Amino acid sequence: MDCVRFEKIVHDLERPGTEGFAFREDALAHAESCSHCAPLMTGAESLDAALRALAASNREQQAPPRVGTALIEKFRRQRAASSRRRVQRQIVALSAAAAILLALGFSLYRRTTSGPGVAPVTNVTEKISAPPVASPTVVPEASPVTAAAESLQQNQILASQSEDSAYATTFVPLPYADDPSALDDGAVVRVEMPRAALASFGLPVAAMESDGTVRADLIVSADGTPQAIRLVSQDNSSRSF
Amino acid sequence: MTQTTDLADALLLRRMARGDEDAFAEVYRQKHPAIYRFALHMTGNPAMAEDVTQEVFMALIRDPKRFDPARGTLGGFLFGVARNHLRKRWEQDRRLVAFDGDPDDLRENASVVGSFQRGASGNGAHGNGNGHGSFATATSWDEFTSVETIGRVRRAVATLPENYRVVVVLCELEELSYEEAASALRCPVGTVRSRLHRARAMLVEKLREAHSVGRASAVSE
Repeated sequence: MDCVRFEKIVHDLERPGTEGFAFREDALAHAESCSHCAPLMTGAESLDAALRALAASNREQQAPPRVGTALIEKFRRQRAASSRRRVQRQIVALSAAAAILLALGFSLYRRTTSGPGVAPVTNVTEKISAPPVASPTVVPEASPVTAAAESLQQNQILASQSEDSAYATTFVPLPYADDPSALDDGAVVRVEMPRAALASFGLPVAAMESDGTVRADLIVSADGTPQAIRLVSQDNSSRSF
Repeated sequence: MTQTTDLADALLLRRMARGDEDAFAEVYRQKHPAIYRFALHMTGNPAMAEDVTQEVFMALIRDPKRFDPARGTLGGFLFGVARNHLRKRWEQDRRLVAFDGDPDDLRENASVVGSFQRGASGNGAHGNGNGHGSFATATSWDEFTSVETIGRVRRAVATLPENYRVVVVLCELEELSYEEAASALRCPVGTVRSRLHRARAMLVEKLREAHSVGRASAVSE
């Protein structure tokens, strides 16, 4: 070991985990034989002893109990304050959630009351991809529905184009329906017909009033034959907005 | 500090963050003596050390999540907070930094620490240790543990520049490893090592001079 290296490690000789500690024996041997490094070694050892004495003299020192007491008190106050803040945050969060729910409910209520029958009709018409079908007047005379077709009113419109507010039932296949595929790709035609005409579709009308008209959606196949029917009832009285 | 201790500290802090008063009391009981001693060595002022200790633990109360176990031990973190508070205090009150460089404040201690100017301007034991002999050559362990000698060492430490004093206090008096001290001071381990070596050389020089002055005054009396 040379003097340069000795000077580098002389202050670490008593510190485990350091290079000085690892080469302590070599350093001691060098100090015994070097007049330059011997005083350095003595100085370092004396300093170690002095610092140990100072550390030992202070080892029992600690802050007065009043510091701990004051801190515990502050901890309690801080805990109470943070608890209050947490409750306030929960109240704000709950209020926000309630406001959102109210807004959603109000929105749904408005949608329901302002357009009650639109959705079912729209859903059905979206499934029907066929173009608008010909007027029921093209239905062949031999068709069993000819009579009913003739009784249809002139105001026929596509259900998909209708903006009426209506309540619709589900489509009921007509007794004589012979084209099941029309239920998927047939055209939907909204018609207004006498209630009595429903009997010609094989629907029971005994319990119904025989006068007046009724709106219905018909699914008609490519040849114009009605395949299914659903009743549409207008309910203007429900409009309150 | 062992991993077990680190884990226990982390658990205590987690409980403390949930508002467990016993956990905080335990953290305070375990950690406050070292923080108080650190502040006392750094300032030499018990009242200031109390204030700093209180501020350190108040910071922990306010935001226990500031401590990141991945960046070091809880003890190292608290030492770092303490040092930051000390620096703020020194900035606010310039009188407390007089030890770092104002020779006028040291003259009253000249009989025990010798000349600060000569001690600080020299290169310590590395550079001129061969001409004076050791301050310990005529002393025994009893002398080291005497109140007078301990007072000399304390004052010599107190006259070190802050950057050097802090590593002496952490590594020598509080027995932190270089790694723990580096974590507390947020600096590389090599910086801690080099500062400590320099600080020790300065201390050797100061104590040697103080010892010479003490012997001379004893002879003259």
